[in-house]
Amino acid sequence: MQPLTTEQIRAVIARGKLKDTIFKALGLFCLSIGLLVIVALIVDMFIKGSERFTLDFFMNFASRRATQAGILSAWVGSLLVMLVTALAAVPLGVAAGLYLEEYAKRNWLTHIIEVNISNLAAVPSIVYGLLALGIFVYQFGFGQSILSAGLTLALLILPIIIVATREAIRAIPAMIREGSMAVGATRWQTCRYHIIPYAMPGILTGVIIGLARAIGETAPIITIGALTFIAFLPPVPFTGEPPAGLFEWVMSPFTVMPIQIFNWTSRPDPAFEVNAAAAGFVLMVMVLSMNAVAIYLRYKMRKNIKW
Amino acid sequence: MNDSAHLSSQFDEDLSRLRTHVLQMGGLVETQVSAAIDAYSTGEVSSVKHIVETDRRINDLEIAIDDDCAHIIAKRQPAASDLRLVFGISKIVTDLERAGDEAKKIAKGVRRIYEAGQVPSQFGIGVRHIAEAALHMVRDALDAFARLDVEQAHRVINADANVDVEFKSIVRQLITHMMEDPRTITTSIDIIWIARAVERIGDHAKNIAEHVVFIVEGRDIRHPPKEQKA
Amino acid sequence: MQIHDNPALKAEARNLNFYYGEAKALKGINMPIYDKKVTALIGPSGCGKSTYLRSFNRMHDLYPGNRYEGEIRFFPDNTNLLSPEVDPIEVRMRVGMVFQKPNPFPKSIYENVAYGLRVRGENNKRVLDDKVEHALKGGALWDEVKDRLNELASNLSGGQQQRLCIARALATDPELLLFDEPTSALDPIATAAIEELVHELKKRVTILIVTHNMQQAARVSDYTAYMFLGEMIEFGKTDEIFLKPKDKRTEDYITGRMG
Repeated sequence: MQPLTTEQIRAVIARGKLKDTIFKALGLFCLSIGLLVIVALIVDMFIKGSERFTLDFFMNFASRRATQAGILSAWVGSLLVMLVTALAAVPLGVAAGLYLEEYAKRNWLTHIIEVNISNLAAVPSIVYGLLALGIFVYQFGFGQSILSAGLTLALLILPIIIVATREAIRAIPAMIREGSMAVGATRWQTCRYHIIPYAMPGILTGVIIGLARAIGETAPIITIGALTFIAFLPPVPFTGEPPAGLFEWVMSPFTVMPIQIFNWTSRPDPAFEVNAAAAGFVLMVMVLSMNAVAIYLRYKMRKNIKW
Repeated sequence: MNDSAHLSSQFDEDLSRLRTHVLQMGGLVETQVSAAIDAYSTGEVSSVKHIVETDRRINDLEIAIDDDCAHIIAKRQPAASDLRLVFGISKIVTDLERAGDEAKKIAKGVRRIYEAGQVPSQFGIGVRHIAEAALHMVRDALDAFARLDVEQAHRVINADANVDVEFKSIVRQLITHMMEDPRTITTSIDIIWIARAVERIGDHAKNIAEHVVFIVEGRDIRHPPKEQKA
Repeated sequence: MQIHDNPALKAEARNLNFYYGEAKALKGINMPIYDKKVTALIGPSGCGKSTYLRSFNRMHDLYPGNRYEGEIRFFPDNTNLLSPEVDPIEVRMRVGMVFQKPNPFPKSIYENVAYGLRVRGENNKRVLDDKVEHALKGGALWDEVKDRLNELASNLSGGQQQRLCIARALATDPELLLFDEPTSALDPIATAAIEELVHELKKRVTILIVTHNMQQAARVSDYTAYMFLGEMIEFGKTDEIFLKPKDKRTEDYITGRMG
């Protein structure tokens, strides 16, 4: 084969680069579809609901008059449910992930467990609702409470946290683990001093993404019977008479943001649609800011972890 | 010794070139010794000049080979048999160069004797004899090196004893001569110097043979401990 | 220079076999490790030298499916390091290890060195300070880091990181120190510093070092073992192995004739 001349080489490069350009444009287009949709959605909700963005909207309970209706009980409810969800799902999920990665022997049993965790992530959320209705609400007698809702959502995001934990642990190089074991550390010392701290950014990201998903869930909450119209707040957490009083709030009836939105959109009065749009926007802001916190935390914590 | 090829063919080439150069130098030394002995027997003083000139080529080769050894050590870090070969060669060339010097000394001695109007061969017939033996040793030592033949090397080492014995008897003979006829003293001393040079050539051949044993077996047999000697 | 009597034994492999699952990686290895000496393990990749090294601190126990046969006797107490009754953690408390790639923890320099002590339950600040300083001096790193002990270890250069790892291993006063190709990720200057350190360390600790750099083995070790395909082909004084190996396979390897 004849060696190429400089002109020919340039022609070949130009051809290759053309394809680069085409793909770049295509990729950008695909990316912008996703971006445009979300921006359109947020802007649309913002414009529609703009007249409701007053302090009253956040500080008022639900009302039959659209202009006086607020989301106080909904956002407080959402936050409290998230608190229960996080308190239940994080220790469980992290412990499970840690066990699977660091302790479990690789045998058929762990294999089945692993497969089932993936299956769990694929279970429709309404099914969790049905399960929770049977177990938490009736069997355990938690009733239609913040506790039931929190635990239900905890179950829902458990697979996400387990998977995130395992991924974060797997990203830790084997030589770090070996380095720790080589000075005579036990498995637990290795986990306590190294694995958990180094996996923390990844775990936190998983937790927050899980919570962001949970905060928007409607179906399981409806199934266990969250109220749609509620005009009081649960007791402020951890302030009642100890010991029982501290946890009174968890047994309180509640509503959450998505249910409030769902409720408003199903009203015949079109004025409530404005409320729904405004509440939807608030919910979006909550989710996006949770994601932002996740990104920030990950950045902050990973800065010091280098190998 | 190890005959299989190195992963680096360049290294193989370097080593084989080194060995070729040693043999080439050895060939020159051998010719020198042989020419010096011929001059001694025939009185061809004209060849002396040639011997002295050739010695310079031997010296140059010694320097060149030593330089090659240094480069191989620096670049290849030879180990085991390679290390012994390079190290042994570096010592062999020293002995070769000195054997060459001794040949030159013989040639100069021959010239002095003839220029004084004497014929050396009428005195020490024995000198010619050990000179042949020493030349043989050089030849065999180089042969042992070329084939890395330990048995051959041992034969050379053993032969050295005979040369030493003959040298002593030549010296005794010449002393008798000098006592009988003091006019022969100058020539006799020159002949003793020549015999001495021949004996040294035998020693260098023996050293070369010992280096060959080291190259092959990794054993240094130059100075055996007392109990082994007995 | 002839040394006629061998020094005291620190450890001895006796008919050691090792299996990764079904695959036999070490085949009947018998070898002494002499006290306060440096023993180098050389051999082509995959010859089992690292596998052998990692048997000394039971590193293989961390992964499933690995199996030992035979013994590694550890002296003076004549413990079999490989015995199922001996806790691998106990073994690792006595046998330190330095890895191929520097693997400092993403923590401060101080915490890296103090870790082994913390694992042993030492939390007294004064004792820790003392031992950390001593270990860093042992690792020939103290002068370079004494003013920044609280900085992240990852800010150090590769050579410094490796010396930090050596200090980390030294902090707990191991009896035997394993080096698994400790300079393969380092430049020649950093390598020379590590080699110098190894030379210094053998005054107080027995060293077993795997290296794929034969010159390094020749430079740092007192004894050398050549391994090939899971077998110990030849063991001897380094001086002898590199001048006059007995086995043709050793000779071929160290003279660069391995085909």
